[in-house]
Amino acid sequence: MKSLVTLDVNGDQRELYLDTRRTLLDVLRGDLGLMGVHRGCDSGECGACTVHLDGLPVAACLVLATECDGARVVTVEGITEDGELTHLQRALVDEGGIQCGFCTPGMVMSAMALLSQNSNPSESEVRAALAGNLCRCTGYLKIVQAVLSLAGEQAEVA
Amino acid sequence: MRAFDYHAPETIPAALDLLSQLGDEATILAGGTDLLLRMKAGELRTTGVVSLRRIADLKKLEFSPETGMRLGASVTLRELTRSPLIHRHYPCLAQTAGIMASEQIRSRATVGGNLCNAAPSADLAPPLLALSARALIIGLEGERQVALEEFFIGPGETCLKPGELLRAVLLPTPRGQTTYLKLTPRAFMDPAVVGVAVSLRQTNGDFENARIALGGVAPTPMRALQAEEELSGSDIKIEKIETASAVAAQECFPIDDVRATAWYRRRMVKVLVRRACLALVETGSGRMRS
Amino acid sequence: MTEESVSIVGQRVPKLDAPHKVSGRAVYGHDVRLPGMLHGRILYSQHPHARLLRVDTTRAERLPGVKCVLTAADNPPTKFGFGKDNIPFKNRIVRSLRDEVAGVVGIDLDIAEEALALIEVEYEPLLPVFSPAEALTEGAPLIHSERENNIFQTYQYSHGDLAQGLNESEVVLEDSFRLPYVSHACIETSVVLAEYDPRGRLTLWSTTQIPFLLQRELAEALGMDGSQVRIIQTAIGGAFGRGLDIYPYEPIAALMARKAGKPVRLAFSRQEEFSATALRQPAEVKVRAGARKDGRLSFREVHALLDIGAYVSWGTVTPLVMMETTASLYKVPHVRFSADCVYTNNPVTGAVRGYGNPQSTFFVETMMDRLAEALNFDPVEFRLLNANEPNSTTPQGLVIGSCGLKECLQAAAAAADKPAGRRVYAGSIAGVQGMDLPNSTQEISSTRRRGVGFAATLNVGGGARIYRSDGCGATVKVDDYGHVTLIIGATEIGQGSETVLAQIVAETLGTPVEHVAVVNNDTDIKPWDVGVHASRTTFIAGKAAQLAALDAQAQIFETAAELLDADPSQLTARQGVVSVKGDEARALSVSKVVRRRHLREHGKVVLGEGWYDPPTQLVDKDTYKGNISAAYSFGAQMAEVEVDVETGMVRVLRIVCAHDVGRAINPMAVEGQIEGGVQMGLGYALTEEVIVRQGQVLNPSFLDYRLFTAADMPEMETIIVETYDPTGPFGAKGVGEMGGTPTAAAIANAVYNAVGVRMTQLPMTPDRVLRALDEKAREDNA
Repeated sequence: MKSLVTLDVNGDQRELYLDTRRTLLDVLRGDLGLMGVHRGCDSGECGACTVHLDGLPVAACLVLATECDGARVVTVEGITEDGELTHLQRALVDEGGIQCGFCTPGMVMSAMALLSQNSNPSESEVRAALAGNLCRCTGYLKIVQAVLSLAGEQAEVA
Repeated sequence: MRAFDYHAPETIPAALDLLSQLGDEATILAGGTDLLLRMKAGELRTTGVVSLRRIADLKKLEFSPETGMRLGASVTLRELTRSPLIHRHYPCLAQTAGIMASEQIRSRATVGGNLCNAAPSADLAPPLLALSARALIIGLEGERQVALEEFFIGPGETCLKPGELLRAVLLPTPRGQTTYLKLTPRAFMDPAVVGVAVSLRQTNGDFENARIALGGVAPTPMRALQAEEELSGSDIKIEKIETASAVAAQECFPIDDVRATAWYRRRMVKVLVRRACLALVETGSGRMRS
Repeated sequence: MTEESVSIVGQRVPKLDAPHKVSGRAVYGHDVRLPGMLHGRILYSQHPHARLLRVDTTRAERLPGVKCVLTAADNPPTKFGFGKDNIPFKNRIVRSLRDEVAGVVGIDLDIAEEALALIEVEYEPLLPVFSPAEALTEGAPLIHSERENNIFQTYQYSHGDLAQGLNESEVVLEDSFRLPYVSHACIETSVVLAEYDPRGRLTLWSTTQIPFLLQRELAEALGMDGSQVRIIQTAIGGAFGRGLDIYPYEPIAALMARKAGKPVRLAFSRQEEFSATALRQPAEVKVRAGARKDGRLSFREVHALLDIGAYVSWGTVTPLVMMETTASLYKVPHVRFSADCVYTNNPVTGAVRGYGNPQSTFFVETMMDRLAEALNFDPVEFRLLNANEPNSTTPQGLVIGSCGLKECLQAAAAAADKPAGRRVYAGSIAGVQGMDLPNSTQEISSTRRRGVGFAATLNVGGGARIYRSDGCGATVKVDDYGHVTLIIGATEIGQGSETVLAQIVAETLGTPVEHVAVVNNDTDIKPWDVGVHASRTTFIAGKAAQLAALDAQAQIFETAAELLDADPSQLTARQGVVSVKGDEARALSVSKVVRRRHLREHGKVVLGEGWYDPPTQLVDKDTYKGNISAAYSFGAQMAEVEVDVETGMVRVLRIVCAHDVGRAINPMAVEGQIEGGVQMGLGYALTEEVIVRQGQVLNPSFLDYRLFTAADMPEMETIIVETYDPTGPFGAKGVGEMGGTPTAAAIANAVYNAVGVRMTQLPMTPDRVLRALDEKAREDNA
């Protein structure tokens, strides 16, 4: 079956006629060309597809696109206004928290969700918030350090 | 995945009507974090998905000192971790939810989903069993309640009849303390190899009426009734805790699987029951006799 | 060589492509879309060993949306692979559950997937063999019937005299080790895109680590000329050895594109990634080791039985590395090493980071600990006593120049005295979660024991000649704006080599590093390189880049000398400006020099060229002796663990890594490589195992193949030891694989220190630890 789905993606209203089987991840990548949202496992176990759905971090591979009718979705492509890197992105770059980069957009979205709820997280809290984002390259240390470097700063809300 | 029709009714009666029309072909969609996995694996024959996302009634979380808590089936794990009411009256549930899966899953996964998926290791089940929870079920014929012990009837199977919905989980007013210990290889992400919840009521400074619930060691989450017998009454001593732990280990039915052996699980039941009891007794303000 | 004064080398320069990656703009194989692109899916065997009687694709071909279906009938005639024993689609025999039986090309993935189910295959099951031991028994089924037996290759090495070694020993100890299958578990799954252009030339968008070797092997496999094959590397979402060979899905993608007449993308699901890509070989190893009364090692005797799986990949050469560690880690006068690489009907095994070193370091360092204890030596003192030294040649012929092993061991030991700073993470208390159990609970704290353990590592740090060439070519172009392009054969696989190479070029040319771009992903454009492996890129590609930059600089200085009326030897360059040493007023911007050089009669552009192939040897084919690397890197790690004796859970509190990398061109990148390596080492030690039973992978998902998450990581400290190796670029040596190599051994030694049990099987699951504790309790009571 197909259904009409209207959703706000990165500030743009999109109206799509979709097979009900498609996940949010399928649609973001396949229909909307948002390749920054990565598919790592398609099972909600790696976090590479983390996006914000109505302000909450979710695994886009486990959400039916049809369920997002009327919702607001933000991906890594939608977190800057003017193409400049956010403070968090800058911190990840400067602290060496990026190697192959495949987990990175998901990490950014999870970290942003944390900082918007808790602008001064402890290291434990950062690690718990990122537990659903697997990384095979960095050992996480520099990612955590980058997020902590922002603790206390103005939180960035998507 | 097979093609399916998608419905998002706005009320419970509308949902029940749909379920009755769709019959065997219907699948209920809550958070989707378990359901979508099964659908992708081709495990479901559904042609009609009934989403609960629009039904406000299912999202309610209400508490009264007289009747206790009514936890709507669509309350998410994330909401459990953040609810002031839960933190105040049933903190164990907040802690349990906080160590399930990941932030991303918790944003979507629901209380009802965790219970209706009925995995033997479902994390909410042991604490809810220890808290004497009841399932509030609704169908076209009306509402009924069952003790949570009777809700689970097999791995992945509940007592819900076709056309019925889990509406809420009802918890009596809390008396005493509850803890849930979950044994996993990693800090998050993993299902429980063994899960143990213990609830101890406290009267006049004495601990009594333990409830012990186990997850991951039987076809369904279970109460360790014989172990509870060892801790009944008002005189809980260390030796009784030891005995209860050993009994609990014997009365469960663990299996070997890729995650752990039956031997290990049985052994861990004993360890965790003992630790849970001791932790409650020590953090409680009552006396512990030796 | 003392450290020269440098200003860019040694800086924590952020990765050049990090801004793209953090914005989600890097283009990975899964993101590439070509006009008319189709999707390929592979049908895998249903039996681990069977005759393929019939493959009927009629129904699949008829499904609307299916463009073509392929079987062995579409295979070219040549076999491929390291052992030349593999073909794209299997014909007549399937030898493992991941054998490719047929392929479908469809307009989308769903249709292709649906079509797979419509392919009818008839098998005649054959008796399978699931372990090397079984495969070696008399009368065992032959995996490859054209062979006499199931041994692909046997390695035998010795130096010194074992009998003498035994004689000299005060203690002789023996043990057996069992090491598991593990997976690279890259977060990006394998993916390849193939397209034939109208002239019949093939382009492959790939995540390969060996583009030029792949170009050659693929051309051979497809019956094409190598000049007709172009390999373009997309951004790679993790490699770690995954791309170190030619695998069936690569020629299959090309065959699909050829038959469909359109570009085809073949992407693995996560389940395929676990069950159909190469794994680290499981190994059964017997070790005997001895030491003298004075604490000096006398001998090591090792026999390893390795499961290759159904077909051979480059990974079958891991015994060379195991041999190297066995023979050369620490000074051992008498060594005997043998390894059998055996075919079975299990999944194919291949190169995984460390390539034999994590395995061999585990057993070597466990035995070191046991010997130290038997002789009553402190574990660190014992290692220091036997440590490799600078400017020495090992009995195997490894020429060690710089060597910081002692410094690394001392640094790791010093760290053991500092207590773990950071405590409990969210929810994890020795794996038992829920209520924060109060530390005052006597009962519970008495069940946790802490311990500290050490392990060292020796790794090739100056390339590794396992192929006849270990070289890399580079060109450096400097343009009219002073902008520099380094075109180099070595690939960036996410490890940061691109940035390091830019730093080397920038330092050499005296240009800001922001003005250097690196092009390294197209075999049509870049010069030859053997591949990214063996931690060779900083060293070898670094040297090539340096040579090319020096060549470009010579050209710049030639013209600048004219313009500044000086001799080229008097010139220096810094921040994009060429000047006369000691007379900064006489200066010109590089951009001006370049323009003046070519915008005139008989002008020339600036194009520097460099080729570096280190002065090393292939090992002798009989004795396996020879110096295969131009430099060797060393390291030592200290692990602090806490063992819960009731649950068997081992929690790592702290890992301290001290690694001798010669010189850290980019300390941030070096740390990143080590820290990432430790994450793999932790998994190898404690939680990662691909469980294979009856040839089938039972846990093909991240749910049950458990990677350490951010919340599981211990406190980590990295100490970079710099010994300034004169052979390497600015004194640098390789580091890529070292981080995860000694970790499991350090943890196992720490577990012994904590609770007195020796774990000789990995991973050290709680179940295994608990059984070991029970056994110890039984022995203690007996």
